Amino acid sequence: MFDGLIDGYTQSILIFTGISVIAAYSFFAPFKTGQVSLGQAGFMAVGGYASAVLTQKFGLPFAAALPVAGLIAGVVGVVVGFPALRIKGIYLLLLTLGFGEIISVIALSWDYVGGAQGYRNIPFNPRTLDYVIGIVIVLVIFFGRLERSSLGRAMDSIHQDETAAEVMGIDVVRIKLLAFGLGAMIAGIAGALYAHQATYVDSTTFNIMLAVEILTFVVVGGGSTFWGPLVGAAVLSYLPEFLRALREWLELLPVAMTNFFPANRVYDFLHGFLDFENAKRLIVYGIILILMMIVRPDGLLTRDTIPRLPFRRWKARHA
Amino acid sequence: MIYQQLINGLMLGASYALVAIGYTLIFGVLNLLYFAHGEIFMVGAFVGLFLVVYAGANIYGALAGAMVACAIIGVLSVFVAIRPVPKDRPLAPLISTIGLTIVLQNLAVYFIGGQQLAFPETIKQTLYHVGPVTVSSTQIFILGVAIGLMILLWLFIERTKMGRGIRAVAENHETAALLGVDVNRIILVTFIIGSGIAGIAGVLDGLKNSSISPFMGLSAAVKGLIVMLLGGLGNVPGAMVAGLMLGMIEILSAAYIGTTERDLFSFLILILILLFRPTGLFGTRTAEQR
Repeated sequence: MFDGLIDGYTQSILIFTGISVIAAYSFFAPFKTGQVSLGQAGFMAVGGYASAVLTQKFGLPFAAALPVAGLIAGVVGVVVGFPALRIKGIYLLLLTLGFGEIISVIALSWDYVGGAQGYRNIPFNPRTLDYVIGIVIVLVIFFGRLERSSLGRAMDSIHQDETAAEVMGIDVVRIKLLAFGLGAMIAGIAGALYAHQATYVDSTTFNIMLAVEILTFVVVGGGSTFWGPLVGAAVLSYLPEFLRALREWLELLPVAMTNFFPANRVYDFLHGFLDFENAKRLIVYGIILILMMIVRPDGLLTRDTIPRLPFRRWKARHA
Repeated sequence: MIYQQLINGLMLGASYALVAIGYTLIFGVLNLLYFAHGEIFMVGAFVGLFLVVYAGANIYGALAGAMVACAIIGVLSVFVAIRPVPKDRPLAPLISTIGLTIVLQNLAVYFIGGQQLAFPETIKQTLYHVGPVTVSSTQIFILGVAIGLMILLWLFIERTKMGRGIRAVAENHETAALLGVDVNRIILVTFIIGSGIAGIAGVLDGLKNSSISPFMGLSAAVKGLIVMLLGGLGNVPGAMVAGLMLGMIEILSAAYIGTTERDLFSFLILILILLFRPTGLFGTRTAEQR
């Protein structure tokens, strides 16, 4: 769809940002009922491997393999979610972390899916960007509608107080399981999209750090509103690119402005600091995470901030 | 053969236990999953290595230096990533310590590079044959230090005033404060002890594997979490026993079943414990609140 418009580099950044957004929504679904999962990378692995097997070994087209992979991940999610209903908080965090690790051990030792060699030659999907944009739009609309529906309100009430929700007649077990399965399905779709873009996955592709990153997307963006995962994943995935752009803008400054003391020192410091070198960039990323949690522990967006955003006020005034 | 494997299991378990002690102490007083603990273990290993290689320190100097350096980082982390973050949001302190993890790991990558470094041999290698078992002097040293530390820590927690303070804060912050315990000071002391022990564990791990890398923290962190859970959250003696147990289980399953299945076993244990005995094998005091 966008072939002539953007270059390959921008396209791949957009694709991986989009996959991050989808993964963030996969965390958001169970989180809406108060379940914090570190297993989303594991579900991504299930979806990615499933879709790779379906297309490569069973000859299914990607368009058919994608929903099936999502369903498989969703079923696995319900199976994992069922015992997970009994526990919460840090115990659930550890259970889902253990699930993710078990998936990666299985991927490592099961030769049918490549074992330690990894899964090679997954058919490349040239239209990933179209899929990603379409799915992100569907997810935003879905979670936006959900927020104002009775099911969404039931989920929020479970998040706030499970016992109170149960007393009000909400079927806590069914809704929590549904949310967990839905999250796993979305993660499976994200994993399938990733696998057919990278064309190679192995047991370390979907690791704990990825699961942790998905969690930070939602917490940084704001877990109380459906805009949060979109904003968090987009901002954090794009942050390294932004730091890089900042450095390029810095280089555009006229030399006359920076060749005297102390401006030259400041320039050198900033220039070195924004160097597009992986380790330094990640150090900045870590510092930003810490500062975020000090300044805005509820995330960038909360339900209270959205009505106060500038364009909302403008809209209200001109409505 | 089996005795030899048991010795190896004991060695592995001792380092798991030392990492898990710090986790469980910190979890006890703050009710927080302190994600950066594995990275502190990694920093300890590197401080020890640099002291030996560049400052010509012997192994005791390396252990002491790593302990002090890690204790300082532990205290700094309280001021940077824990105190300024609001406590009433369950995920905020977790994310800020994740940020700290990323910072520490990448500082190490930035200054040292992503490769493995060989850990120098500082103890004269002699092999002792006791019946069917062969033990090296390094192994005896590691086990001796680890077990000595655990006994000292146990005595500290059970027999001193400060230790009683830690136990009181772990039980309930408000009550402890009302009874005259300086909660903030106890939290700092906990971080000093937990991080110092993690630093020593890092040096011992370097001695044992004879190589260290900036990425060694993550797997130590995950294994430490399993051990903490196995022993019961916040239960220090539980973590010691559970660490030794997990080490044995892993070595035995690697020896008799297969090396790739080794991790599978530890995570299966994690999940079974979570489902059937979430208070850990040895119980915790305040499990129902979590």
